[in-house]
Amino acid sequence: MATAERPPARGFNEQLYDLFFNNYIWKSIFRSGYPNTPRNQMLVVATNVFLHLHPTRIHRTHVKITHTYCLGGLTFFMFLGLTVTGVLLMFYYVPSVERAYADIQALETNVRFGSLMRNLHRWMAHAMIITVLLHMMRVFYTGAYKPPREFNWVVGVILFILTLLLSFTGYLLPWDQLAFWAITVGTTMVGSAPILGDESKFLLLGGFSVGPNALIRFYTLHVIALPLLAAIFMAVHFWRVRRDGGLARPL
Amino acid sequence: MAERVVAALQRRPRREREEEVLVWPDLVFVEFISAVLFTVSLVVLSVFINAPLLNRADPDTTPNPSKAPWYFLNLQELLLHMEPAWAGVIVPTILLIVLAAVPYWDRSNEQQGVWFGTANSVRLTIWGMGVGLFGTIWLIIYDGQKHVEWTENIIRGLGLNRDFTWPGGLDWARDLRSLDTRINWDDLSFTIGDFKMFQDWRAIPLGIPGTTEDPWLLNLNFPSFLSQQLIPVATMIGLPVLLYLFTRHKLGWIYSRRDTAILIFSGFIATYIVLTAVGQFFRGEAQELRAPWDIVVVEE
Repeated sequence: MATAERPPARGFNEQLYDLFFNNYIWKSIFRSGYPNTPRNQMLVVATNVFLHLHPTRIHRTHVKITHTYCLGGLTFFMFLGLTVTGVLLMFYYVPSVERAYADIQALETNVRFGSLMRNLHRWMAHAMIITVLLHMMRVFYTGAYKPPREFNWVVGVILFILTLLLSFTGYLLPWDQLAFWAITVGTTMVGSAPILGDESKFLLLGGFSVGPNALIRFYTLHVIALPLLAAIFMAVHFWRVRRDGGLARPL
Repeated sequence: MAERVVAALQRRPRREREEEVLVWPDLVFVEFISAVLFTVSLVVLSVFINAPLLNRADPDTTPNPSKAPWYFLNLQELLLHMEPAWAGVIVPTILLIVLAAVPYWDRSNEQQGVWFGTANSVRLTIWGMGVGLFGTIWLIIYDGQKHVEWTENIIRGLGLNRDFTWPGGLDWARDLRSLDTRINWDDLSFTIGDFKMFQDWRAIPLGIPGTTEDPWLLNLNFPSFLSQQLIPVATMIGLPVLLYLFTRHKLGWIYSRRDTAILIFSGFIATYIVLTAVGQFFRGEAQELRAPWDIVVVEE
């Protein structure tokens, strides 16, 4: 006489796991199971919008730190960190000549973690320029600009320029002596361009010298125009890395 | 080109599964750990070192020296040695275009994806960086009249001549601008046939039609043009070309465009770093060359 087979008794741990990770709501958010099998490990990358910047598999040599030193990724990391700290700084900062400097002072003295946020934003901006330059050197010395990746190198050069412009426009915002005169020196250089020099300088400053118009222009460029542009070019950059076959490797 | 790449890609085994690893965990964890490391170190840095905040901006009080942000100090440094239009706009624009154009010029797809792929690339890098480093430092020393000061100090210091000063006959070699200011250009007129050439070197009539409103194109100030435009530009083009020719024909290290690109790029990187560092650490009051510990900012 056959006895009905019963599934093995499930322990408390499994029940707890199922309660949290096999319920209807969790499954509606994360479609793949826990990434402890190759199948789920590939699914977790392929079904997640952030992780799917990566392929699901990658050549063995490309995960070696010394191949890339993570420099491109670190640049992107700096960009994300700058976005987060930048949004927090925007809560306390008004880009008017009357208020800008006082707002920064208040940020340093009255706002909890305000000084930390400003410091982080500043040092990450410097770090981003350094990592961009190092990333460019890495790509150059590994010959990673070679066909079929020519265009992505051009996108990289554009991103380098955007990084410098982002940092430069942010430099004016504290409205202290350092900011004011650095931007004065910088925009005087722009003004010395042949043919369109004076016009470009006027366009950038909204006047003949650094003043209220320059502050609002630099602010708008810094917090919305240039970050959007950079994000678009970054999307192209990352997309092309994938489309052109991932990281360069010997043919 | 595209066909060659596709063909080369097709020649390799279609799936090298045994050579591949899964992105999760092998890559994602590396990224996660480096993100954590950098978050922690940047937070620690930010706790201990404050971002600078000087006095409120005051258009009537100019700090001396006034400096651009550090990543533009390379351009500000160039500004001291040539016409502003070249240093601030034309040179960086051309450089960025040339940089972006590198892959369209060096189209071979060999040796990609490995560090220093060609046989001579390491020595080309070191050589290019060395020449860029010392060449740029030497040019800055020359244009800062440091060679004059040092020659005087050495000869006086050795006791050869206690009152030694830079000889007047070599006044033109004090720095670049001395070619303009320390030569009496009025004496340099000469005649070819019936023409007396350039009675006034500082206003050579160019008379380019339709440019009457622009005095620069109407009358050329030759001494200024020579020292602030011709020589700087010739130097910036000529020295890399000389470096290339010497490395190719005397040293024999260059076999491909990739080699040339490595040499010139390395020289450029070193020059870029030297210009930035000199602008940041060695320029004091009135943009004079100073030791880093002698630099004070005066507000005037």
